[in-house]
Amino acid sequence: MTGRQLGRIALTLVLVVLGLIMLAPLIWLISESLTKESDAFDLPPNWIPHPFTWANFRGITDLIPFWRMALNSLIVAVISTAGSILVSLLAAYGFSRLRFAGRERIFSLLLVALMVPVQMTIIPIFILMRNLGLVDHLAALWLPALINVFSIFFFRQYFNTIPRDLDEAATLDGAGHGWILFRMLVPLSGPAIAAMTILSFEAAWNNYFGPLIFLSDPQKMTLPIGLVTLQAGQGGSSVVVFAAITAVVVPVLVVFLVFQRAFVASVASAGLRG
Amino acid sequence: MTATVAPVRPSRDIDGTPRAGGRSQWLAGSIFVGPALLLFVIFVLGPFIAAIVLSLFSWDMLTPATFSGLKNFKAMLSDDLLYKALGNTFVFALASVVTHLIGGLLLALGVDALRSRAASYFVRTSLFFPFVISWAAVALLWKYVLDPTFGMGTYYLTKIGFNPPDWFTDPSWALPAIIGIDWWHTIGFTFVIMLAGLQTVPGQLIEAARVDGCGWWQRLWHVIIPMMSPTIFFAAVITFIGAFQIFDPVQIITPNGGPENSTLTIVMYLYQKGFQAFQVGYASSVAILVFVIMAIVTALQFWFARRWVHQS
Repeated sequence: MTGRQLGRIALTLVLVVLGLIMLAPLIWLISESLTKESDAFDLPPNWIPHPFTWANFRGITDLIPFWRMALNSLIVAVISTAGSILVSLLAAYGFSRLRFAGRERIFSLLLVALMVPVQMTIIPIFILMRNLGLVDHLAALWLPALINVFSIFFFRQYFNTIPRDLDEAATLDGAGHGWILFRMLVPLSGPAIAAMTILSFEAAWNNYFGPLIFLSDPQKMTLPIGLVTLQAGQGGSSVVVFAAITAVVVPVLVVFLVFQRAFVASVASAGLRG
Repeated sequence: MTATVAPVRPSRDIDGTPRAGGRSQWLAGSIFVGPALLLFVIFVLGPFIAAIVLSLFSWDMLTPATFSGLKNFKAMLSDDLLYKALGNTFVFALASVVTHLIGGLLLALGVDALRSRAASYFVRTSLFFPFVISWAAVALLWKYVLDPTFGMGTYYLTKIGFNPPDWFTDPSWALPAIIGIDWWHTIGFTFVIMLAGLQTVPGQLIEAARVDGCGWWQRLWHVIIPMMSPTIFFAAVITFIGAFQIFDPVQIITPNGGPENSTLTIVMYLYQKGFQAFQVGYASSVAILVFVIMAIVTALQFWFARRWVHQS
């Protein structure tokens, strides 16, 4: 065996061990959530629960309205994602294909907004929502999420790579703007739309700051806050908290494994194009 | 802005030039761009201006606001807690950038050199897994992992001969612990960006350097890093901006700013002032400070970028 081969084996070993260390907290989380309460927190840790139990999961709904919160999270994530993708596609078409007075100036103004942190606008938005009577409504979470400057920018970049000759040919055939956008550009932009869908959905699903500020009614609450209120210990044991975290984390991991390629591509392309 | 030269082709971009058919373009423009622009004005531009106006007032959201001029900004100058929060935030952001760039680059180089497909898939997936999990779940999980009595992490750290402190009650260890947790959660993002950047470096170039007798270190330093500088630069900007706005993990793990305010970050301070103490005007001036710092850092980074980023 040459030194180079040995080096390669060593590198593989080091990286695989590192991968295992990265996964260790998640594996521990899942095992603990399946361990019966009296055995939980044994040291050294029980990596394989013995005996298996689902009891901890049954305890979650006694402490928080888990399913209601999951539904709320889903509603917010679906509306913000679908809405912001539609708004962004329309705007990107305008900025990429139409010529109207002030187009470039409006676009630059939008780009400057990429630098405005959410925290700066949150107080005025809170006051606005209060005046609209939307505090403690899910709309307070998804309405502001409909404007996503990054995805407008991203779609415009993508549209700009699609030859305009195609539009002209379609126009000559009598196609209008709506047809060109939804029947031609959108089908050609699959990867870009997938990337932005994944990123927006993830951001809305995991949002903690928004619900913390706008919501207080447990029936209106989303999952991230639900989890954190569990921690405050409302008579529930730690294993139930473990089960709740597992119930939130495992579906996300499964979805990620299924869409891994698109997910990683979305981050990579955001990095390369941004 | 004068349309003296007729466009060669109707589809050519000419900024804002009213042309024949301009009215229909304007109508279409307002239909397509209108919704985004309206939302932008309501939820970004309007609140942005409102935050600047609010910073000139004293207001508790209940009694009428009173104009106070620059009083809030003057008060900021002698607010020790604000300096503390700023200091913590800078430490967190700088530590984040350094550990992410070095870690992300090394991991990308390592995974890129793997020959086994299975190992490569496993390492990529396990590095990226934590990134898809919400901060709420990550923060709670790590609170348990590092728990002094039953934490799995504490147990193994003790096993390898390290005597871990009680992380979140020890003022000198709370912030480093959160820096570490942030690394675990977010390194997958930096890693993927670095890996994508690495793949844009032409293989022949690295091969040519190898043939010329350059060792691994020389190839890294003289070929790979210069070629990847746009990616590294982008990752630095994104990491810094994200880290500077850190809120979720510190708020969840150390709700009141941690022992001796050692984990109080600037956004957490803004949240306390605005939504717990109801000092809306003061919180708005803190928000403006955050914006100004981010704008300056971004401008500086672009200025540096012109001097050292390799342009292909």
